[in-house]
Amino acid sequence: MSPLRAIVYLGVAGGGALLAWVLAGSVVPDGLSLPEIDVDATFGRELVDQAERYERFLYVDYLLAQLVLLATLAVYARHGARFARESAAGPIGTGMLLGMLGLAIAWLTLLPFSVAALWWDRRNGVSEVGYLEWIFGDWLALGGTFVASCLALLVVMALARWLGSWWWIPGAGVFAAIAIALVFVGPYLVTGLERPVDPELQQTYDRFEREQGVDDIPLRIEEVSGDTSQANAYAFGLGPSARIVLWDTLLDGRFTDREVNVVLAHELGHHSSDHILESIGWFGLFALPGSLALVIATRRRGGMGEPAAVPLALLVTAVVQLALAPAQNQVSRHMEGEADWKALETTGDPVAAEGLFRGFSSTSLGDPSPPTWAYVFLQSHPTLSQRVAMAKAWASESPRVGHVLSHPASLTERDRTCTFIQSND
Amino acid sequence: MTTAPAPAARHPVRLIVTDDLARRRLTVFFRLLLALPHFVWLALYGIAASTLAFVVWLAIVFEGRAPRTLHGFLVSYVRYSTHVTAYLCLAAGPYPGFTGSTDYPVDVEIDGPERQRRLGALVRIVLAIPALLLASTLAGSVVLGAGFGFAPLTAVGALSATVGFLGWLAALVLGRMPRGLRDAGAYACGYAAQVTAYALLATGRYPDSTPGRVEPPPDLPRHAVAILVENDLRRPRLLVAFRLPLAVPHFFWLTLWAVPATVAAVLGWLVTLARGEMPSSLHRFLAAFVRYVAHVTAFTYLVGRPFPGFVGREGSYPIDVTIEPPARQRRLGVLVRLVLALPALLVYQAYSIVLYAVALLGWVAAVVTGRMPSGLRDLGAAAVRYQSQIGAYALLLTPQYPDSSPVLVAPPAPIAEPEQFAVADTA
Repeated sequence: MSPLRAIVYLGVAGGGALLAWVLAGSVVPDGLSLPEIDVDATFGRELVDQAERYERFLYVDYLLAQLVLLATLAVYARHGARFARESAAGPIGTGMLLGMLGLAIAWLTLLPFSVAALWWDRRNGVSEVGYLEWIFGDWLALGGTFVASCLALLVVMALARWLGSWWWIPGAGVFAAIAIALVFVGPYLVTGLERPVDPELQQTYDRFEREQGVDDIPLRIEEVSGDTSQANAYAFGLGPSARIVLWDTLLDGRFTDREVNVVLAHELGHHSSDHILESIGWFGLFALPGSLALVIATRRRGGMGEPAAVPLALLVTAVVQLALAPAQNQVSRHMEGEADWKALETTGDPVAAEGLFRGFSSTSLGDPSPPTWAYVFLQSHPTLSQRVAMAKAWASESPRVGHVLSHPASLTERDRTCTFIQSND
Repeated sequence: MTTAPAPAARHPVRLIVTDDLARRRLTVFFRLLLALPHFVWLALYGIAASTLAFVVWLAIVFEGRAPRTLHGFLVSYVRYSTHVTAYLCLAAGPYPGFTGSTDYPVDVEIDGPERQRRLGALVRIVLAIPALLLASTLAGSVVLGAGFGFAPLTAVGALSATVGFLGWLAALVLGRMPRGLRDAGAYACGYAAQVTAYALLATGRYPDSTPGRVEPPPDLPRHAVAILVENDLRRPRLLVAFRLPLAVPHFFWLTLWAVPATVAAVLGWLVTLARGEMPSSLHRFLAAFVRYVAHVTAFTYLVGRPFPGFVGREGSYPIDVTIEPPARQRRLGVLVRLVLALPALLVYQAYSIVLYAVALLGWVAAVVTGRMPSGLRDLGAAAVRYQSQIGAYALLLTPQYPDSSPVLVAPPAPIAEPEQFAVADTA
């Protein structure tokens, strides 16, 4: 390795470490210890058994799918370059075709596993989507995946043809910039989101916005009840495009108003903690080693500037994604934990939070305490038992609970109820 | 390297066009009303033909051949329905006879009864479904020869209906039918006749949608926008199965490119209005855009095989469009170009529907066989060419009006312009 290259690697590693340190800050108190949770007592033995049985099938399905995917991509990496003759485009266009074909083959080989998962979801009442509807919708959605992969390949191949093996350094920055653009534009492309019809929900939301110090982030409702019974919500967008979306399955009466409030505060917590931007920062950080792996792996095929390298690059990307999944999930869990903490701070309602997480376990059949490997590789959120534990930890540590108990006049009726329940817990 | 396409085996149902394009305004104006007696007669004729077709079906299933008398009746019916359809869409001028046995300017010639495969005859109506689908986009509903006239609602949007409407307007003004419209209408009639004959068991040969199989060979005047089709019908199944998602990045890029292309078109319109000629730089840019649209359309609709490039470079795709350099244009024509293009847009709309059918049928065929049927490919190429011609006309790349004829191959000398259509045999 040349001295210049070593210096660059060291510099990038140092810069990355510094950025990671900055991004790793949290509002969750240092050294917060989560109490032990009796999973059976908290969620009920029957529900835990049911959730474990449900998740076990999905774990096996996932593992088999990963094996088949890697095997398929390995075969494609070896023979995929043959499809270059099906292109009348230049090298970058041909690379795009090879990339899309690789994804198409991957989609085909994963289809049986996806259908099996859908069958299992339907059997367990988690999903109501029809098979044909799902397959056709997924096939059409491939178009969006193809556009994104083409954009990525355009950036990578153009940079690689221009900068040679140094493309990965600006590449990570360009990817982060593209991610910012996509995250910003994304909310404007999503249709079918409605304003909430419940004025009380909107008022509570406005109050939470003020408490968390964020301005005018629209709240929207997405109708998914025809497809699934799972409850969910998400925060997306940046700046003026920031949005919070609740699935209508959260508002169908299975969750109390207070539990829904926890969700609102949690999603607002993502925006008030700048998690979207932080995610992009982390994405850029993870892109650095991933891109470097691509540079090294594709060197013998002429580098990423050559279309013949693209099939191999797909395999490398899949492997790198798998390898980085634990770290990425750790980052995600860190942010989700922070949003949970903010939700507790905002609502002051750990009982509702516990109820919400118990509700998630029954509506989504989430395993409250999954196996370690599944936790490491698959869980982007803290486990449900960890989330319940955090609610209990907050209740035991928060000065606010003591404050509101001594100043009941400062509370709304809802707060009083909450505090009352908490005080009796 | 450049050769004419190999002549197909003589089809037992052949289109014969001897029409001279002359139309009498009076009969054109009242054409629909004049055809009313034919509607009634065609319905009765159709019922009789359907009944006898059942007898023929039994005969072929058991004997392998249709009785000559019954075959003759069915042939007369197919010819009669063709005459009526041609009369309605103004592909022909004279009032047709009621028997289908007299000569007509747009006619079909059908061979005598031939041996047919019994299994094919047994499931004939199922086998005919794809052809019926395509025929419905060309000539409206042709189920069992009901014909254009029996399904005025389903015929809306069909090529022959559009041709009939525009031809009616043109013939009232000019006293003659534009050649391109006549050829398009005659082609639709001819294909509908093939399908009807096939469905009624008058022939065992599957309908061939290749345009231009007409006797005598049709004219194909030189046009500033021509298409080049490489004769490669192989289609890798993987690329066929995922054709639509694979085209999505091109749609995305096309949308982006459309923005500067629109600006360039407005600029080109202003400059051409002032100078009477499009500047060559703008012409090149817009021509590349038109070519790119043709490449993407050809790929998406399975007319072309490989994944196209993103810049619309000439000669970069097996289904390519050549556009002649800028020519002087009349300023008045430039001023009202978009208005003038409206009739052609209607024809293009009809061709678009045909293209959808081509893609759908071609997709199924190519997924199963790994090849695109040549008739579908050629019909699709004709639609792509028309799209390019109207694009070039609307964007002022040429003053020449789009030629709605689906004919791709010019007949041999002296009328032919060899560079207008070339088939490079790479199969």
